[in-house]
Formats: sequence, C-alpha cells, structure tokens
Amino acid sequence: MGPAPLELDAVTKRFGSFTAVRDLTMSVPKGSIVGFLGPNGAGKSTSLRMALGVLSPDKGKVSLFGAQPNIESLRHVGFLPEERGLYKKMTARATISYFARLKGMSAGESRKRADELLERMGLGDFARSRVSKLSKGMSQKVQILSSLAHQPDFLILDEPFSGLDPVNQQGLENMIIEEHKRGATILFSTHVMEHAERLCDSIVMMARGRKVFDGTLDEAFGALGRAVLIGVSAGFDLDAALKPKGFHINERSGDIWRVRLPAGVDAQDALRAAIDAGAPITSFRPEEARLRDVFVSLVSEAEAEDLRQSLAADTARKVA
Amino acid sequence: MIRSIYLVARRDYLGYVQAWGFWLGLLLTPLLLAVAIMAPTWAENSQPTRYYAVIESGTSFSTVLNSELNENRVEMARLSLDPASVMGGAEPNEALVAFDEALQSGASIEEALDRAGAPAFELPQAGFVQVPAPATTQEAITPYLLGDQLIDTPEGPMPLFAAIFVPDGDGEIEYWSENVTADTLLRRAKSTERTLAERRIFERAGVDPTLLSRASQETRPVTERRARPASAEGGSQVTMADRAPFYASVLMAFMLWFLIFSVVNYLLMGTIEERSNKIFDSLLTSVKLPHMLAGKLLAVLAVALTLMGVWAIGTTILATALGDMIDPGIRGPIFTVLGSVGDIQLLLPALLSFVLGYLMYGAVFLALGSLCDTIQEAQTLMTPLIVMLMVPMFMITVAISDPESPLIAVMSWVPFFTPFLLILRIPTVLPLWEITGLLVLMIAASLLVLWLASRVYRAGAVHGAGVGDVGKWFGKLVPGKKSKA
Repeated sequence: MGPAPLELDAVTKRFGSFTAVRDLTMSVPKGSIVGFLGPNGAGKSTSLRMALGVLSPDKGKVSLFGAQPNIESLRHVGFLPEERGLYKKMTARATISYFARLKGMSAGESRKRADELLERMGLGDFARSRVSKLSKGMSQKVQILSSLAHQPDFLILDEPFSGLDPVNQQGLENMIIEEHKRGATILFSTHVMEHAERLCDSIVMMARGRKVFDGTLDEAFGALGRAVLIGVSAGFDLDAALKPKGFHINERSGDIWRVRLPAGVDAQDALRAAIDAGAPITSFRPEEARLRDVFVSLVSEAEAEDLRQSLAADTARKVA
Repeated sequence: MIRSIYLVARRDYLGYVQAWGFWLGLLLTPLLLAVAIMAPTWAENSQPTRYYAVIESGTSFSTVLNSELNENRVEMARLSLDPASVMGGAEPNEALVAFDEALQSGASIEEALDRAGAPAFELPQAGFVQVPAPATTQEAITPYLLGDQLIDTPEGPMPLFAAIFVPDGDGEIEYWSENVTADTLLRRAKSTERTLAERRIFERAGVDPTLLSRASQETRPVTERRARPASAEGGSQVTMADRAPFYASVLMAFMLWFLIFSVVNYLLMGTIEERSNKIFDSLLTSVKLPHMLAGKLLAVLAVALTLMGVWAIGTTILATALGDMIDPGIRGPIFTVLGSVGDIQLLLPALLSFVLGYLMYGAVFLALGSLCDTIQEAQTLMTPLIVMLMVPMFMITVAISDPESPLIAVMSWVPFFTPFLLILRIPTVLPLWEITGLLVLMIAASLLVLWLASRVYRAGAVHGAGVGDVGKWFGKLVPGKKSKA
C-alpha cells in the first residue's frame, strides 16, 4: 500500500499578524471520502491551498502522495477551487479538454473524455457553447468536470455544493460516489453537514484556524453525547426524580425534559428509571443525533475558547 | 515543461486571435498608417486653389513670388524625374538636366516636365494662382476681396483671396486679404520682398544680381567620404550602403517599440481576465508558475509576430504587384536598407535586444495585470509605464539625425531603454567594452525584472494582492523598513 494521498503535519499559515491555520495535523487515507468541515473563515481553503502547494506553510510539513506537492504529484490530483472561474470565451468542451491536457492527457483523449462527461451531465448540447453563454449552474458543472476529466487518484473539492440547486447537488453527490467507486480518494470541504453525513467515512472539523475534531461520524456523534426526551404531566419534577438514579437533565422545554445518557446507558434504561420513580410519562423519544449539532457544539466550544484566550491575553497586557 | 508552456501559449494565442480586437488591429493599423503617411498630401491637395493679384508697375515681385510658391512642386517634380540624384546625390539623369534647363529658361513646371519627356506624373495642384488684377486701387478691389464681385478663373467666377500692392520706390507693401488665418501667401510675400531687397542692395553696390544664380552653378561638389566605406565599389565615397545600417537600425528599434506598445496590452488584459475570473488556482495546480509566465509571454510574442508577419506578407505582395510602378531610384535604396537588416553584425545584437526588451516590458505588464481586478485599476498603473515607453520613441527621433548623440549614449545605459538604444547605436563604431557592457546590463536587467515580476505575479495570483499593496510590497524591499501586511 502506497503513501496516503495527503498528510498535513503540524501545519501553520499566517498572513501578517493573522493566523489562518494553526498547527493542523490531518491525514486523508487512500480510498476514503473525508469531509473537511468548518464555518466560513475557519481556514479550510487555506489548508487545501497548502495541501496543493499553492501556498507554502510557515511551519509544518505537507505531504502529497508521500512527497512535497509538485507538478508531478499534482497530476494525480483533481482540484475544484472555492472561487469558481473559467475562461469565458472558451467553449465548455475546450475548457475541459484544456485542463485535462494540462494534467497530461493527450489532445484526442481529452476531447473524447470532455464529450463523454458533458453528455453524462446533460450538457451535450452545450459542448460547443462559450462558457459566457452558460448558466451559472452549467458553468459550475463544467468546472467540476474540468477537475476530474483526467481521472485523478485524489479529488480535492472546495465547497463543491455551493451555488448548486438541490437537483444538481444530488447529481454532484452521485458523481462523487461514482468517482469513489472508481477508486478515487476524495477530500471535500463544506459547511453543509447533510452532504458530509451522507458521503463521508470520516470528517475533520475546523474552527478559527484550529482543528476541533478528526474522526469517524460515529465518533463525532459520541463526542456530542446522546440524550432522550421524556414528557411528563405538568407539575412533576423529573430532574429531582432521576438525579438519585445518576441521570442529569440538560434542558427543559415546558414539560419535555432532555435527559443526558451517560456512557454505557441506553434510552430504555432512562425510561425504566423514570417509570420506577413514578413519573407520569406522556411522551418518550430518543434524540436523533445530527452532525449539525456536533458541528455547532464543537465550533461554539472553539469560539468560547478563543474568546477566553483573547480575554486572558487582554488582561495580561493590562496588568503588564 | 515544454508541453505546459506550449499548452498555455496555445490557449492564450488562440484566445487573442479569436477576439475582435485582434482583427481590428490587424486590418486597421496598416490603414491608419497609410492615412497618417498620406494625410499631409491629401490635406495639401484638398486645399481649394486661391487666386491672388499683384498690383505693381513691373513684374519683378510677381515673378519671384511665383517661383517661391512653386518651390515645393518643383522639388516634387525633380524627385519624380531622378530620385537617385535628388535623394542620394548621384549624377543627374538627362530628364532632370532637361527639366532644370527648361525652368531656367522661364518655362512653367508643366512645360518643363513636358520638355524633360517625363512619364505621366500627377503634380500636387498649385495652391495659389496669380490672376490679372481686376482693379488697381484698394477701394476698387475691396468688393472682389469681400466676394461681392467675382473674378474669372479656370474654375469659373471666384472671389479674390488676396491683393498685394507693391509701390514703386520705398513705400510700404500692402497685403490685403479677408482671410487672416491662412498665412502662407503672406509669408511667401515677405520672403519675396527679402529676395528683392538683396537684389537691390547688390545693384546699388554695382554688383550684377545674376551673379548670385551663377554662384550656384559654379558651386564645387562636396563629396562625402569615409575611411571604412560599406561598399568597396564606390571607393571611400559615402553611398546608400553606408547609410543603410543606420536606417535599418532605426527601423528595427521602431519595430521593437511598436511591438511592445501594441501587444503588451494583451498581456495586461489577459491577466486581468484570469484574475477577475479566478482561474489562477486551477492553473497553478496544473502548471508551474514560471512555465505559465513563459507560456503567456510566448503567446503574446506569437500574436505580435503574426501581426507583423501578415503585414510583411501584405507589403511584399503589394510591392511585387506594384513593383514596376516604383522607380528603380527609390526601389534600390529601399532594398539596400532591407538588406542591411539581414547583416549579422546588426541582426544578432538586435535580435537579443528585441527578445530581452520584449521580455522586460512583457513581464512588467504581466505582473501589473495580476494585481488588477478591473481595467480602471490597470490604467492607474499603466500611465507611468506608457510615459516611460514614450522616452525611447523620442530617442529614436533624435537618433535619426544623430545616432552618436551624447544623449543617446547616456540614455542607453538606463536598463529600460537599453534594448531600443543599443539597436540604434550598433551601426556607430562602438568600442567592444561598451557593446559587451550594454549586453551584460541588458541581460542582468531582464533577469532582475523577470524575477521581480514573477514575485509580484505570485503575490497577485496566489495571495490576491492588489494595486494598494504595491506600495507596501516595495516598502518591504527597502532595507530596515518592514511592512505591516
């Protein structure tokens, strides 16, 4: 088994006094689909640009297929940048063919591949249309096709779903799955959690330039903690009833109580404890964990931590 | 490497030549050039013929004035009869001798041309034609000047343009005309009076005034010679072969200037398009930055060569088709100059200057384009460069009259002007150390500019630096000064 398509080792990137990425270590194993998540400004695009050698890290090491990123290793990579852009006067076919040729394909092969991809994406009739004449969605499709026309081993997609309507988003999801089946490793950044939930084997979450999570989806849900929602008749204090049995109430909304489940305890145990405590139960629902909640929780923590550090630094400055 | 450069160059080249602007430039430039060349002739020919009268007791004033007014036409007629003699100083041919003799015997230009057996030649029309005075007093002639009364002319009845009253003796000459802006006739009248005044002084001193015209006949020829003549056939006498390298160098320097001036815009606009369309990241993950820059420079060079090639082919076709109509006396010098362009001693340094000059300016424009999102932004950076590009053009005009001017010698050591001025100075006898020094300077300056330009380009393309960052960036280069950015 060869080296991992991408490894970042304690990578830091600063722009003047602003640290865009801080001490990021991550790996994209061969054959995986990795989601790179984070809010706007979290440092995702900067990290991806470092991964591709477009930017050099100030500290740390980037390894693409076991070596520093270079034009040879980049031939095996397909990249869709966050800021979309194509030559407006070129035709869709010529655009795809041009980028495929830059990656090493022959002229004939690249044109054949462009025709085939355009046909598959329903753009066959627009193959000879100038990009300036295409709709935004069509142009975006052309750019996506340009990034994968040379059948790369590793696809890096920066916010691939942004700007696409739901139908085209689904089309792109299918295409990512197809590329994965073909054998490509895929790393894509997004802040739309649903795509990551559906597609990824593992995720890396960024907030304020720092990695706040790196693991599988199950691990991500585990990090948030599970809970159960129990409804009781008005006036009953479920918190007081369950506390002696080792359960903690997180939140309460009217007569619906959110009971956190400790490790090794499942929803049925919480229900049983409530019945044993004589609670007049009106509803019961195990909480379905969503990646969005994990994301919000981790990002909020990171932001709170940043705020704490910033206040501490301010206080230290004032004391000095 | 070569494949990447080729692919970038090919795409850019096809992008440029498929644009409307390219075809407009291709077709309009020669047209505009032709218009610029022909404009003075057309302007002269489009002037209406103006009729004037001279009121004098004899004909001495009007005779001299007439010959002054026809000076240009005479020169054009002489040039048409024997260009080699008029331009190159060769022995006059029979036609020219016959023409000059006819003029001296008092014949008009048209008659003199007839006597010289000249082929059909369209002389520019005479701008001013003398007519008999319709009246002899100012009061009586005024209605003709105002157009209230008309005079008879070959074109039909016309108003009188001017009336010149030349009194006998020392009285003041009066020039009457309602047109106060077209002063050619007035200037010629003043010049005529000066000539007549000279004659009067000679006469008063007892000297025969015709001695002056005899003096020109007795003038001994001054033959220009040089110790190292270009052609052994002519001995030490200076011929067109000696002057041709200077003309050829001016031609080549102008071509370099024209090339840079006309095509660097493509580089600028192309880069602005890529920046505003956000294509850099896609490109930079497929091509190395130096290869991308090389491809872009090559593409625009190919565009320039295409333009020049098409114009050259067009000119050759025209010259071949119309070759017989061009007088051998003119054709000869042109071919001598063009032959000098192929002289290896001129061609090699010129080609090097050509390539390095293009690279230097091309790289600067590429770098500037990478910093600009809009054409408006680019214009703010372009202005100083355009002003700088005008300097070599002025130097070329200086070099036409004096290629050894100290100004040219000093300015040729300014790296941004070296490519143009070295070409101009090659035909002068430059010491080896100076040629070597200028070449080394030019190579070093080009490499430095390319290095700096690639850094600026990277800043613009990768880091999104803009026009406002230029100052900060240069601040970083100043030792001991740190930019906050």
